[in-house]
Amino acid sequence: MRIHSYESAVIINAALEDEQIELVVTKLRDTITQSGGEIFSTENWGRKRLAYQIKKNKIGYYIIFQFTAPVEAIAQIERVYRLDENIVRFLTIQLSKFAVEHFSDQKEKEALAKIAAEVDVVGLVEPDIAADLKSDISPK
Amino acid sequence: MKPLMKTKKVCRFTEMRIKYIDYKDIKLLQRFVSEQGRIIPKRITGTSAAYQRELTLAIKRARHMALLPYVSDSVR
Repeated sequence: MRIHSYESAVIINAALEDEQIELVVTKLRDTITQSGGEIFSTENWGRKRLAYQIKKNKIGYYIIFQFTAPVEAIAQIERVYRLDENIVRFLTIQLSKFAVEHFSDQKEKEALAKIAAEVDVVGLVEPDIAADLKSDISPK
Repeated sequence: MKPLMKTKKVCRFTEMRIKYIDYKDIKLLQRFVSEQGRIIPKRITGTSAAYQRELTLAIKRARHMALLPYVSDSVR
């Protein structure tokens, strides 16, 4: 069984109550893990304006899962997406090793930026060194 | 006659050594899309062929997920 990294982005009907959305999200999470996947990152964008109307919806609730799973699991997971009426749109892509690297680099940068911000607040480092550190870390 | 000014266009992605173009990074993608929402050709932006292919895929994915418009509102 080959295992790959995947990324699933799902748009949930934003007209639902928050609890209902939470229910859908946990259901999706369960289907991924039950079909042999392992989620390593979840991004919750919440309600966002859609660039165009989909099924009369103007806003959508975005949620993004990144996970590793065997190839066979993807068909099962996508089947669940298709059957759920509350899911307006979805996209599952396979992540290349470069993509995985890109995301882990990004996370590292964010973590470092957080640390730098804390350092700045605490004032343990000389102000000009802190500024140097920050400009090194901040995304171009 | 004045000789034509030749400014070398550089591929932003090659310069920054980007490994992967994320379709969720709308701010980045928007720079490579015209006002109407069309993909700007590489002869104008200077993007290298390999990155232009990746960029195109990313823009199309973003459109599918309603992050970018297929046709901008100003045209419709």
